Amino acid sequence: MGVMDFLMQGFQTAIQPENLFFAFIGVLIGTAVGVLPGIGPMSGVALLIPVTATLTGGMEPSAAATSSIILLAGVYYGAMYGGSTTSILLNTPGESSSVVTTLDGYQMAKQGRAGSALSIAAIGSFAAGIVSIIGLALLANPLSEMALKFGPAEYFSLMLLGLAAVSGLAGGSITKAWMMTVTGLLLATIGIDAVSGVARFTYEIPVLFGGLEFLTVAVGLFALGEVFKTILHKEDDQERVAKVGRVIPSRTDLKESAGPIARGSILGFFIGVLPGAGATLASFFSYIAEKKLSKTPEKFGKGAIAGVAAPESANNAASGGAMIPLLTLGIPGSGTTAILMGALIMYNVQPGPLLFSDHPDVAWGLIASMFIGNLMLLILNMPLVKVFAKIIETPPKYLLPIIIAISVFGVYAVQVTTFDLYLLIGFGLAGYLLAKNDYPLAPLVLGLVLGPMIENNMRRALTTSNGDFMVFIENPISAIFLVCSVLWILIPFLLKLKGKNVVVNVEG
Amino acid sequence: MRTGSFDRYASVLFALIGAAFLFESRNIAKSAYGSEVGPNVFPFLLGLILILLSVKLFLESFKSVQNNNNDREKLMVKRFLIILIASILYAAFLETIGYLISTFVFLFVSFQTMEKGGWVKNALIAGVFSFCVYYLFVVVLKGSLPGLPIWFS
Repeated sequence: MGVMDFLMQGFQTAIQPENLFFAFIGVLIGTAVGVLPGIGPMSGVALLIPVTATLTGGMEPSAAATSSIILLAGVYYGAMYGGSTTSILLNTPGESSSVVTTLDGYQMAKQGRAGSALSIAAIGSFAAGIVSIIGLALLANPLSEMALKFGPAEYFSLMLLGLAAVSGLAGGSITKAWMMTVTGLLLATIGIDAVSGVARFTYEIPVLFGGLEFLTVAVGLFALGEVFKTILHKEDDQERVAKVGRVIPSRTDLKESAGPIARGSILGFFIGVLPGAGATLASFFSYIAEKKLSKTPEKFGKGAIAGVAAPESANNAASGGAMIPLLTLGIPGSGTTAILMGALIMYNVQPGPLLFSDHPDVAWGLIASMFIGNLMLLILNMPLVKVFAKIIETPPKYLLPIIIAISVFGVYAVQVTTFDLYLLIGFGLAGYLLAKNDYPLAPLVLGLVLGPMIENNMRRALTTSNGDFMVFIENPISAIFLVCSVLWILIPFLLKLKGKNVVVNVEG
Repeated sequence: MRTGSFDRYASVLFALIGAAFLFESRNIAKSAYGSEVGPNVFPFLLGLILILLSVKLFLESFKSVQNNNNDREKLMVKRFLIILIASILYAAFLETIGYLISTFVFLFVSFQTMEKGGWVKNALIAGVFSFCVYYLFVVVLKGSLPGLPIWFS
């Protein structure tokens, strides 16, 4: 069967009523999550995993996995879009990938053009979604076929490259990023070892035999950590939310933003495919590129529509592009995709090259549903922009305790142990302290999710080589990956030595 | 924001974590059937790397210049502690007194802590939230949560 047949099958899966419903709910909640201060895409997706787990409880495993991943992916790109709303109306980005949007978006809002900025952002996101789906459909098969030829040594090195990429770009200090990665990997070793069946670091405590649940860790670090931060630091006085005004963009706006949207989408997609780069970098690069290309660069920062269209398309395209390494290679390139991967594993669906042969319905259903989800986002957002703008005004007084309550509920509903609740609060505190001191959190979750796989592949490779570590270098493909990961660490380091500023990713 | 002193403490802490894993990994079986590499190798290596990274961070923490312009914003320690303790108690008593009551009490206390007053409205929101979540999850979705205190049912 060709790509088109698979895609058609995917659409058949995606337009089943319950999946349409899940996509709709996902996109709706995602947009709300993106708009609400305090919860970003990562904590939003993590918080919704338990909800989807119960929603899909009665379905057969494969269908349940498809439906819940459709919902969670909807939350992901919904939040990407929702983040732009606060950037434009409030001058406070909902998540790091829409920081750039504030530059021109808020200026437009001040000039009373918030409505067209918001709708251009929606149109740009939609176009970007389409570009990334086409790319996903085209690249999925060749990449997963290539990855099928990989042995354990190649896999180990590839995952190492993924970790190197994320850690190298994750924040101010590379040392801190690596410490977080290694801590994540170490935490992943707690529990029963999958290869030998030996219990490690469990000290006869029954709750530890299953290992630390990634869901608990992710919700604690991201959702609770952020809540604790907002509780401790007195929030700024409520800024005035700009008036939305006319929603339908004018013809000149559309004309001016067509080019930036197209370029932003393509650039964003390719940056998204690279592990570690992600949406934030994509939005930065596309903004800079547009400014360079523009005939009137002086307009940027003063409310140029291109300055909204390009980064918003780029960050959505990047979130689509980030699905490629996740689905085809089983390597999440960012914090959010790591959480999506954890969700898939919870359903016993292992992302990676075998996904397309073992669970084509999950993979292609997701790809098709991203198309439908993007369409829904567009339809939903044009008329509902004003409603979402109202959500911003939710007083934090109610919002923060409710986020804690939802986190507790979510973790308890899935884990059903009090131990996980203590763990949740503990990781919440750790998340606050670490994030406050510039320790990036995404690498830790990535390490936790990838840990068991890295270890298994390493041990399988070493078993075939009788414990000889040279196997990773002697194997040509594995050697290339290793060289790439070393370069990924060294190049920013060298650039820094030369005193150049390195653009870093703040959050996945 | 410079983070020198925190980094120093953190590096010691992380080094201890690394050392703990390194040390404890010696107690794990060294070999697995049919394999040269036992389940102890991976944690051992990681523990070692974590210690090395901690040393690097420890050294780096001295390089970062302290800029002592005390523009420290006032932290809301009191309300944070109250909510933190409330969360811990919430976690501890969720199973014994049930979801409905514990969530209501937790939310009500937290709302009041965030901003005093308007307790009728706060109680209403707390009550509606805990009831709605419980109803949706247990009655509509057939999930399981401890509803009311054990001695009630």
